[in-house]
Amino acid sequence: MSFNPAALLLLILGLALIGWLAGRARSAMLAGRAQAKLHSRPQYHGWYVALWLFAPAALFLAVWTSVSPGLITNQVLATEAAQGLPEFGFERSAILSDARAVAQGKQAAVRIEGAAPLVRPYAEATRHYAWIGIAAMLALGLAGGLYGFTRIRPDFRARTRVERTVMAVLLLASLVAILTTFGIVLSLLFESIRFFQLVSPAELLFGTHWNPQSGAPVKDTFGGIPLFWGTVLIGAIIAMIVAIPIGMMTAVYLTQYAAPAVRRWVKPLLEILAGVPTVVYGYFAALTVAPAFREFAVMLGIPNASTESALAAGVVMGVMIIPFVSSMADDSINAVPQAMRDGSLALGATPNETIRQVLIPAALPGVMGGILLAVSRAIGETMIVVMAAGLSANLTANPFASVTTVTAQIVKLLTGDQEFDSAKTLAAFALGLVLFVVTLLLNIVALRIVKKYREAYE
Amino acid sequence: MNNRTAPTDWKGAAMQARIAKRYGAERRFRLLGLAAVLASGAFLAFLLFVMVGNGARGFTYTNVAVPIDFAAMPLAVDRDRLSDPDAEQVVANAGLADIVAFAADEALGEGGADLISENAWKEVRSAILDDPELLDGRTVFDLPASSAVDIAAKEGAGGELGAKVAALEKEDKLSTGIHWPFFRNADATDPAVAGIWGALKGSVLTIFIAFLIAFPTGVLAALYLEEYAPKNRWTDLIEVSINNLAAVPSIIFGLLALAVFINWFGLCQASPLVGGLTLALMTMPVIVIASRNAIKSVPPSIRDAALGVGASPVQVVFHHVLPLALPGILTGTIIGMARALGETAPLLLVGMRAFIGDVPGGLCSPSTVLPMQIFLWSDEVDRGFVEKTSAAIIVLLIVLLSMNALAIYLRNKFEKRW
Amino acid sequence: MTQDDLTIADPKMRAHGVNVFYGDKQAINDVSIDVGTDLVTAFIGPSGCGKSTFLRSLNRMNDTVASARVTGRIELDGEDIYAPSMDVVQLRARVGMVFQKPNPFPKSIYDNVAYGPRIHGLAPGKADLDGIVESALTRAGLWDEVKDRLAESGTALSGGQQQRLCIARAIAVDPEVILMDEPCSALDPIATAKIEELIHELRGKFAIVIVTHNMQQAARVSQRTAFFHLGTLVEYGKTTDIFTNPRQERTKDYITGRYG
Repeated sequence: MSFNPAALLLLILGLALIGWLAGRARSAMLAGRAQAKLHSRPQYHGWYVALWLFAPAALFLAVWTSVSPGLITNQVLATEAAQGLPEFGFERSAILSDARAVAQGKQAAVRIEGAAPLVRPYAEATRHYAWIGIAAMLALGLAGGLYGFTRIRPDFRARTRVERTVMAVLLLASLVAILTTFGIVLSLLFESIRFFQLVSPAELLFGTHWNPQSGAPVKDTFGGIPLFWGTVLIGAIIAMIVAIPIGMMTAVYLTQYAAPAVRRWVKPLLEILAGVPTVVYGYFAALTVAPAFREFAVMLGIPNASTESALAAGVVMGVMIIPFVSSMADDSINAVPQAMRDGSLALGATPNETIRQVLIPAALPGVMGGILLAVSRAIGETMIVVMAAGLSANLTANPFASVTTVTAQIVKLLTGDQEFDSAKTLAAFALGLVLFVVTLLLNIVALRIVKKYREAYE
Repeated sequence: MNNRTAPTDWKGAAMQARIAKRYGAERRFRLLGLAAVLASGAFLAFLLFVMVGNGARGFTYTNVAVPIDFAAMPLAVDRDRLSDPDAEQVVANAGLADIVAFAADEALGEGGADLISENAWKEVRSAILDDPELLDGRTVFDLPASSAVDIAAKEGAGGELGAKVAALEKEDKLSTGIHWPFFRNADATDPAVAGIWGALKGSVLTIFIAFLIAFPTGVLAALYLEEYAPKNRWTDLIEVSINNLAAVPSIIFGLLALAVFINWFGLCQASPLVGGLTLALMTMPVIVIASRNAIKSVPPSIRDAALGVGASPVQVVFHHVLPLALPGILTGTIIGMARALGETAPLLLVGMRAFIGDVPGGLCSPSTVLPMQIFLWSDEVDRGFVEKTSAAIIVLLIVLLSMNALAIYLRNKFEKRW
Repeated sequence: MTQDDLTIADPKMRAHGVNVFYGDKQAINDVSIDVGTDLVTAFIGPSGCGKSTFLRSLNRMNDTVASARVTGRIELDGEDIYAPSMDVVQLRARVGMVFQKPNPFPKSIYDNVAYGPRIHGLAPGKADLDGIVESALTRAGLWDEVKDRLAESGTALSGGQQQRLCIARAIAVDPEVILMDEPCSALDPIATAKIEELIHELRGKFAIVIVTHNMQQAARVSQRTAFFHLGTLVEYGKTTDIFTNPRQERTKDYITGRYG
């Protein structure tokens, strides 16, 4: 007997269906017998019963799923077999989880010797709590269902009740966004604070030497400047040098010059370019673009040319951002009233003069907002830099050299076998916090600008 | 007041030259725009060309014909046990690998065993399990070549290996066929047997979880915000949250998942469950925004009409607004899901980059996803993985493009202008 | 009243047998009209009658609408403006336009007026440009109101000021004809009065064509009036005649307010 939440969820869903049918039938019958008009249509009575059956049982299921492992472990620890366990630490938890895996049938045999005597107590405790849990869940569900069922009367306002529940569910769904935001902020803050107890924030933000080592933090190894510079060089400089002109000119061409047929073909093409996964761009950058750039640099005699160059990563990232910039610019240019364009053309301006001297200046706030969003996206991009920009933290302006970025370092710090509490892993969260704050600011400013701009022309 | 001088001389040479210059600038500007569009197109074409050029070969593989005479080299195995559940283990223990290696040496000359994949005997094993009669006599097996031979056969090679491969070709012992293990297997260290099925299944499970959570939550949240939410500070906070979440770098969601799902809740690491939860949080804002736009485009007159015949606000929304907005919602959802399907960065942080040699069995078993498989293979030293990587990219792009095409089709088919 | 009274000795613009199509729909049907050099010509008629469409074909602004097609002949000083040899950039510099809604560019007042002279290269130096801007603003009756804040954005002005700025912007290019497309419809009565006053002053310096749905305005500012209905030119004549003694029944009905 095991406690399988998914199967149990299906069970209570089935019971709820029965409750629904029962509630519906009873309300119809009552109405027929009393010759009374129902306040709510029968299916709402059905929903009412089903909700009363489902909600308590599901709630209990959720709670029980999260607390029962702890209860089981406590019972096991209370047995005689557990008295010989090591006091604390990794070994103890390894033995426990090994025994648990065997007891739950996920593993054929124990891997750690000391776990063998714990398997039986584990299996017993698991069975014990599974029975308690299932019984309690069913009892709660049936009690709720019965309560709902007894309240059915022709004049009972089942619809109002059901609708109130629906509203509550809708509200809860919209709260998930806030929860996620809080989750991000809190988890980043919490781990960062732990990091800043080991390494001062000033060092992370202003130090120029980045070379984190395992174990206790060594002084001057957590200087973030090379990473920040690498991020800016790739995401905000090289990528934008590629993306802004091409994206802007694409938008200008599509909105002002292209025939409708051309637009019909080019727009999906841009959507495809935007839909290519970043890992594909990264592979392309590493496999094709980076070696080509390196050869070019060697031909020019540029020192420190690396196959993992900032240029390759930046250029490919720029291409990735082109559709984004172009669609933002497209929207902004389209938002400029036709009257502006007419006014300029009526003075004898050529389309090119109209675009450059009237439309683009008028669309500039929107375009700027779009570019800020593009920068925020570029500096948060991970795969391209992980695959093509390399991991050596150099403070260099040579685009052919290898640099690293915040995101690449987060990945590097968190993949590998280290304990979660080491300064290295915590540093990843501190870097994540910096990245989050910077992109958040960029986004807020950008969205403000774009919104103001839209209002200006409405 | 009238201080105008002579009227402008539009026909004058200076003015004509100036106009010619302006038209020149106009032409150049227009060409520049065209060039920008073409640059994007050229890049896309180049990318696809490189991937298809590299990857097309990844779908095929070179086989070497190796005759094995089990009459001469009997496999010491009890025939009755070949239908047992642990038959694979039994055959392996009986030393089939050595027999196959020996047969290869014999058939292909000195060092012949190195010309076939070290996992080639597994192909023989499944053949035997399918048909135990094979153990009675001599059969010619088309066994997967070693990765080096495969590359040499496809691209040509010099030196000793090149000569050997040329000789094999001359003897008609090489054949090329669709590389079924690529579609059937999970990851492996040997390109001869490495496949994408494990990753593909992992992707499907992960996206399933993400959809299951993000779609209802996103649509319900959009309904609330668009139809019922009062204008107050809480609603503003929700709106700001959603707009910002949609623009937060994906790797941040990975950090969140690592801290909350894995370290705090202790959910199974590297599993489709955690991966799906992570992607759900990432996709939900996209779905909310798309759904709100779809809901917004349902004209108020429909709501008024329904309210006018006595429907409750909840009935109005669920009977009228939601069905009308559904095509738009689905379009946005498909696009969001396609994006999630191509996502790698956050999954790196929840442990999905581990080497997983088995096809994932369930939602909690360790697995990887297709983009991650591409990332892992791109790091492999063995040259045989280059074409596998590109082949996996082709599969991923085909899946994503079909999803996007479906979204565009839905949008065009159901787009209503009110 | 004879046809002779309508002929103008030296017309600035002359349209003959003009048709305008939007796709398959014919918006203007066989319109012929002469625009006098020193006169203000008003186009009146109910909304949708094609008066604005016709106006926009006089400086080829219809070219910006992809589906629009113009047949017939329109001349400026005897030159066919739809001839391949005619340069549309020059044409629009010579035939300026003021729109229904004031549309100053989101630039400074100075730059709004200087825009046209700059692109056409009418001012060799900064001093010349300053001169052109001041003269145009003065002629548009705006100079005294804005001379101290030329660097402010044109969009910060009031509606009436914006429209006079747009007129100044058109004047600055030194055009020969100014087309005004319901220039007062977005303005309040005081601003409207100022614009009408301005039109009086500009008369004689430019040929002016004004589209209006306001018959009193046509009567006040114009010397010639053309009445359009359903894409055709119903009647064209001296303004006083049209308003006091229309020859056509339809004109009479419109003027007396039977339909509008």
